[in-house]
Amino acid sequence: MPHIVTDNCRLCRFTDCVEVCPVECFHADEERTYIDPDVCIDCGACIPACPVRAIYDTEDMPEEFVPWIAINAERAATLPVLSARQPALPTAADRQKELGF
Amino acid sequence: MSVHVSDTSVVRGACPHDCPDTCAFLYHVEDGKLVEVTGDPDHPMTRGGLCVKLKNFAEHHYNPDRLLYPMKRVGAKGSGQFERISWDEALAEIKSRWTDIIDEFGAQAIMPHVYLGHQGTLNGLTSGDAFFNRLGSSVAEKTYCESGSSTAWIMTVGPTGGLDLESLAYSKYIIVWGMNMTSTNLHAWPFVLEAKKKGAKVVVIDPVRTRTAKQADWHIPIKPGTDAALALGMMNIIIAEDLYDHDYVEQYTLGFEELKDRAAEYPPEKVSAITGIPVADILTLAREYAATQPSAIRQGVALERSRGGGQAIRAITCLPALTGAWRHVGGGAVEMPIWEFPTKFDAICRPDWIKPGTRVVNELDLGAALTGELDLDPPIKSLFVYNSNPVSQAPDQAKIIAGLQREDLFTVASELFISDTARYADILLPATMQAEQYDLMVTWGHLYMTLNQPAIEAPGECVPNVEMFRRLAKTMGFDDPYWDRTDEEMLQDFYDWDAPQLQGITLEKLKEKGYMRLNVGDADKRAPHAEGNFKTPSGKCEFKASAAADGNFVVPVWRSMYEGEQSGEPVDPLPDYLPPFESPHSNPELAARYPLNIVSPKPHAFLNTQYGNETVQQRRQGEQVVLLHPDDAAGRGIEAGSYVRVFNDRGHFEGRAELTDDMMPGLVMANVGYWPSLTRTGTSVNAISSGKHCSLGQAGTYCDNLVEVARV
Repeated sequence: MPHIVTDNCRLCRFTDCVEVCPVECFHADEERTYIDPDVCIDCGACIPACPVRAIYDTEDMPEEFVPWIAINAERAATLPVLSARQPALPTAADRQKELGF
Repeated sequence: MSVHVSDTSVVRGACPHDCPDTCAFLYHVEDGKLVEVTGDPDHPMTRGGLCVKLKNFAEHHYNPDRLLYPMKRVGAKGSGQFERISWDEALAEIKSRWTDIIDEFGAQAIMPHVYLGHQGTLNGLTSGDAFFNRLGSSVAEKTYCESGSSTAWIMTVGPTGGLDLESLAYSKYIIVWGMNMTSTNLHAWPFVLEAKKKGAKVVVIDPVRTRTAKQADWHIPIKPGTDAALALGMMNIIIAEDLYDHDYVEQYTLGFEELKDRAAEYPPEKVSAITGIPVADILTLAREYAATQPSAIRQGVALERSRGGGQAIRAITCLPALTGAWRHVGGGAVEMPIWEFPTKFDAICRPDWIKPGTRVVNELDLGAALTGELDLDPPIKSLFVYNSNPVSQAPDQAKIIAGLQREDLFTVASELFISDTARYADILLPATMQAEQYDLMVTWGHLYMTLNQPAIEAPGECVPNVEMFRRLAKTMGFDDPYWDRTDEEMLQDFYDWDAPQLQGITLEKLKEKGYMRLNVGDADKRAPHAEGNFKTPSGKCEFKASAAADGNFVVPVWRSMYEGEQSGEPVDPLPDYLPPFESPHSNPELAARYPLNIVSPKPHAFLNTQYGNETVQQRRQGEQVVLLHPDDAAGRGIEAGSYVRVFNDRGHFEGRAELTDDMMPGLVMANVGYWPSLTRTGTSVNAISSGKHCSLGQAGTYCDNLVEVARV
């Protein structure tokens, strides 16, 4: 079972995760990132890298995040790979504060 | 699990596992408890991430099933009934039993059994060699993995580290040959991706469309055990079309004319028939590989796991000299860079203590050795198992279990858990886990010295292997100063700290930094064989190997540094293709009963059998799965999800069928690593594995087996 990006990424998209991913499994749209479950190798390097704790191991996550499994799989399949870190979204700082990190 | 780490004290460590990556660790400790283990973000290969296997490493130390005290068997062999005893009682019992055995049969009736369950200088593969050499036991030949590759590599290019995996970032054409890197060499993969971003083409040659093959530009499926034919076929084309580097061949290789004749025997049509690869693909591969420099080959250990595996490594290792790929940064071949480290294996293993003529027993022959099928005089009367779990990992599982059940066999196991092998022991000794011990790691995938420092106290009465052997030595009355040294003093004596590679590197500095790169040139400049400088007797890449004159051999590091009693069967000095022992093509009679070839690669979430008993990793790895091509399933009434029995004359195991065209027709795949005692049948994939050896270096033939599969 892979890892997933959840709602905390929205309006942040810090992409520290992309920098530490050894297999380039992150995809992105204008709002956030998604993990391709067929490429993710479950190493977990991205979890502590995320400043807003958006990433979870599906083997070890609260029940509320279950819908994100399908969302990650579906969105990653249609979006381009993000292979290098990008600037965070302009809304990131406010959103991070709002999330309490 | 990977948590978000807050303020804790941090101790530098290193991964203990049998993996080329040897990651640099940060142990996070809170009130004396290990709360998390993370990868060092500054290490150029670890880059802050570990892998799925290590995800619960902190919790693994506190697994309630850990063996914490010495125990003695109180029930029948294999019943798993043990009772706690003291270290003094355990040592006294070992001394008493061994003394009786030595008096009656001689010390060679005792056999150690060890592999890379730990990869440290003090506690790993060679940690008990000096003790057993001093004891006068049989010398155990440890050829589970890499031995066929080592023999072949050293015959061809000598003990050189070859291409640095970090230099793959500068390659323009990368062939990953027989390796699922994103499962088993993950921390080198970013360098492949970096090259790819710069325009390199990545080719994966593998019988199975693995997760790594899916990430490549081109996957070439190949019939297992036929890699030598493909390499010879590539040479055939490269020479015939004059794509080779004349000047490099002239100056830095030996035996080109003979190699040319040999390669001429492998035209594309013939190679296509052997390998199952279309002629057009063989042509494209050979032409692209030769023309796109720098080209690199990442050789996987899987290549050695069939009859002709050693010769396959020989043939593949000839390729970069033929094309002159070694001239360039990022060109050449990766086997393992262990030979760059100035490790004083003689000082570690003390082969001077081996009496001339002492016999060698190969560990892969354990079942045959214990059951008397091997005619050994004296017979094996005692087995000492550490850093290994042969019931799961060695071939011929049923024979090993039958042997371990012998009432007259005295078995001692040093372990972290009561494994399927330890279960049969008479005495169990508790071993420490990595955060509880000190060691300088042996590394076979990068060029860094990496120190592991203890972060927490050892639980119960667990001791590191190095301390266990000190205690055993004292118990047996060995008064040699070898065992009077501290860990630190041993490490000082076990490396040549004055060697140029270690200039500026000291244990003191390693304690502070955790890891330091050998002085062998930086990855963006290093081209170790740009001007030959091979470590062979001729100094050249030996297409025609002078080392073949003495016949087959196992590199001494895999046999306690013993030079004697090599098997010495004749070896062809030129690379050649040897058909598998078991394939429909090479053994049609056997294939009439068992028509499917099986490969049993490493699991993604276990490290061999380690973590196979961890609930979280069991969930991640999933139950034993048998991968089949839909065509093979159809004729057998097998549907996706049905349980199937995989069997041959040697044994059987079961798994859940998964049907996929990631497999080629006629091929079955099941991962090794599952604990037999935790499966549906009490057996695992090595129940069907043959005990035969590869033609070079006595490697196992785990990927050279025929089976039949039936719905349960």
